[in-house]
Amino acid sequence: MTGMESILQGGLQGYLVVALFLFILGLATVLLRRTLLLQFMGVELMLNAANVALLAFARFHGGDAQATVFYLFIIAVAACEAAVGLALVIGLFRHRDTTDSDRAASLKQ
Amino acid sequence: MFITFALITLLGAIGMLLQKNVIVAGLCMVVAFFGVAGLFVLLANPVAAALQIIVYTGAIMVLVLFVIMMLNSHEEEKAQASHPVQKWVSLALVVAAAIGAVNLVVASPGLKALGIKGAEMPQAMTLQKVGTLLFADHVLGFEVAGLLLLAAMIGAVALTKRNL
Repeated sequence: MTGMESILQGGLQGYLVVALFLFILGLATVLLRRTLLLQFMGVELMLNAANVALLAFARFHGGDAQATVFYLFIIAVAACEAAVGLALVIGLFRHRDTTDSDRAASLKQ
Repeated sequence: MFITFALITLLGAIGMLLQKNVIVAGLCMVVAFFGVAGLFVLLANPVAAALQIIVYTGAIMVLVLFVIMMLNSHEEEKAQASHPVQKWVSLALVVAAAIGAVNLVVASPGLKALGIKGAEMPQAMTLQKVGTLLFADHVLGFEVAGLLLLAAMIGAVALTKRNL
């Protein structure tokens, strides 16, 4: 398979390109949007991109089960991160009455 | 098949990036997560696909949508001050990173070789394989993950409680 064909028909490079675009879109969400909840979703998207790359490498490595175990640990950490991150957003909303990250730029009240 | 799920994933992510309404953006994110689950099925890994749907679209996104509705912040607030320079710099950075990274992946001979070497479809992942490996080699990690989940739960309750 040549390069372009491999990308379009689901070769290793195709999955990696999808993972890269997913990561870049997550990064763009974090950089360009101001709502903290959206930025949080962008972080989740970047984490998912890493998962896609991990499992793509595992499949082209002969279906390694080790990667799925790692994936399990990654989503356990992602769930923790989601719970604590959302608790922080709620805490910020209580103190500042906003979910805009620009309005929470200083530590002072 | 691959191109369908890849497009579902990327269109969901683009919708999240561009959508003004935060709840609709969250639902676009769910679409993107379903697309990723589809990609996992194509990667001969139905276990990961099921976990993806249960944990991400089932648990995390419900949590996020709950918080959005609880804080009643459906629309993005008006900008306090506009930062045009920062916006353009980050946009340029993102585009440059995308082009550079895709070029690297497409041109890499090592990745091409790995893709040809592992092109044969492996046996589908089973829960039994994962469970055996998890409890044979990674028991400590499993316990630490459980402890971490407990700590995060307590931390989240402590952070959101008004007077502790």
